[in-house]
Amino acid sequence: MAISTAKPNRSGLRPATIALPVLLFVALSFLSPAFLSVQNLSNINGQIAALLIVSLGQLVVALIGGIDLSVGATLSLTTTIIVSVSPDLAVVAALLAGVAVGLVNGIGVTIAGVHPLIMTMASMTFLQGLALLIHPVPGGTVPDYLGDLASTSAAGVPAAFFWCVGAVMIASFLLSTTRFGLRLFAIGANQASAARNGIAVKWYSIGCYVICSVTATVAGIFISARVSSGDATVGAPFALDSVTAISMGGVQLAGGTGSVTGVVLGTIALGLLTNGMNLVGISPFLRTAATGMLLLLAISMQRRNVIGV
Amino acid sequence: MSEMTIHSLPRAFHPLNITRSFLSLPFAYAGTAALLAFACVTRPALVSPVLLLLIVRQAAPLAITVLGQSLCMRVLSLDLSVGGVILAVSYILTSGILKYPEPVLLIICILFGVAVGTANAFLITRIRASSVIVTLATALILSGVVFSLSQLRAPGEAPAILRYVGQTRIGIVPIPPLVWLALFVPVALFLRMSVFGRYVDAIGANPRAALMSGIPYVRVVTIAHILSSLLAVFSGFVLIGFVGAGSLDIGRDLPLSSLVAVILGGVTFGSGKGGSLGPAVAAFMLTFSFNLLTSLGIGEPGRLMLQGAIIALAATRRNPD
Repeated sequence: MAISTAKPNRSGLRPATIALPVLLFVALSFLSPAFLSVQNLSNINGQIAALLIVSLGQLVVALIGGIDLSVGATLSLTTTIIVSVSPDLAVVAALLAGVAVGLVNGIGVTIAGVHPLIMTMASMTFLQGLALLIHPVPGGTVPDYLGDLASTSAAGVPAAFFWCVGAVMIASFLLSTTRFGLRLFAIGANQASAARNGIAVKWYSIGCYVICSVTATVAGIFISARVSSGDATVGAPFALDSVTAISMGGVQLAGGTGSVTGVVLGTIALGLLTNGMNLVGISPFLRTAATGMLLLLAISMQRRNVIGV
Repeated sequence: MSEMTIHSLPRAFHPLNITRSFLSLPFAYAGTAALLAFACVTRPALVSPVLLLLIVRQAAPLAITVLGQSLCMRVLSLDLSVGGVILAVSYILTSGILKYPEPVLLIICILFGVAVGTANAFLITRIRASSVIVTLATALILSGVVFSLSQLRAPGEAPAILRYVGQTRIGIVPIPPLVWLALFVPVALFLRMSVFGRYVDAIGANPRAALMSGIPYVRVVTIAHILSSLLAVFSGFVLIGFVGAGSLDIGRDLPLSSLVAVILGGVTFGSGKGGSLGPAVAAFMLTFSFNLLTSLGIGEPGRLMLQGAIIALAATRRNPD
């Protein structure tokens, strides 16, 4: 149904997508002397690592024309599970919870036919409640082995960088070299044609939601290791931030268009903006407003054929 | 044809048909009855007339918001910016940042609501962005601006007119439900009797067919969004009057609660079904259930989980395929 007009390519990369982070980088290095310090750059890296991982998951869902607003709550839930379950089982339990969330979202969207936005908003609300129930007050202790994973550095490169590289490599492998990835683009471009060509659309869609929730869980593990505590509300901004990041990276929310490169660029742009506002001394609340503006701007560039939800 | 209609009339009273039409009623009616029955047994104090009236008063802001939300959802859109609008209204009215007399402030708020609704509608209909994302972004912008402004000037006491409206009662009936009624009756009648109402139903039933048959699609969606923001402003008035002061928390759960209420009230995406009364009953049901949960000792987490489960289940239950 959604036939996009004037589509340059499947990656959705446009000059603006590439220019924005570059321009921001140049502008910030002139505006603030502290920006180019190694300390600050590794800070930015640490700040955007979780967002990048979540956004890559969001990309997978966006490619088939879905959206997952529950990623933030899943991330929060993960941090609460990590600090509440016994250290040996914490990671496994968190990942299982992620799979379960993805299954519920996927089944709700594909089999029960609930609109993805409504379905994931419902699970977002539910999971937020669950996270608050498990661990109402921020705190707790994270297993030691996790702390090392996020804080060590190899050859002067912080661990967060390796998390980013790992996530990007897995995502690019999945999307550009496997049959699974190719089929996601097919489903997103035209679901009915994809189904007629023998793609099991329902299973692929459920798979996408599971992948998305699991990446949110991985990001949650990273965050709890980095902050070394559990916080039932830490993930709240991630839902819209990840949508903003992928939209800025040229991913079409209608499905079928997007690339890992775009998501990386979009995330970096968003991260640089946040960091830049911090350095220049703009109130964090105005930062929320700025994210809203950016989100509007980014989606204004993608005209859809449908009006409404 | 007319003969058949006449003959089929008594059929409506056939027991099977009565059960069928009863089953097709929005979940809100049965849910409210079940909740009231449950409360009668476990917490009889909650169903005393005095407390029920208090709960009705508490439900009024939600019910007003729900009126606008249901209109948006009937044209297959969604308005999640209502919380942001209420927050902004609360700030305009109570912070004293604008030094005008109270009536002028109220008018400014109304104009502000129209402006937000128009901006939402423009982005949704002209730019054709997803309404969820647009209105969430609007909410982000509004709350971000209000929060950063409140560092300069915190919200304070509500205007006297609003406190009067929110806290006095006529006889034993509090004013807020009457405000709701004054808004509900014209809107519901208008939707039921006007051509505009028919357009709303047509778009809800089949947007493509509606678009192709020349229905002023864009205009209808625009009006729905403007009305929704406007009703959010009124809901804000009642809420602020009722609370007595502005705060940065005000209206935070209204977007989600109103969405839940509309779904429970029988408005479903893509069927064109749904009236105005169901969502209003659902608004009461939700408020009542929150009170019940509180009295049973289940706090915020339980409430959120319940809401999430309700949204998912209610959205699933009636889906045709």
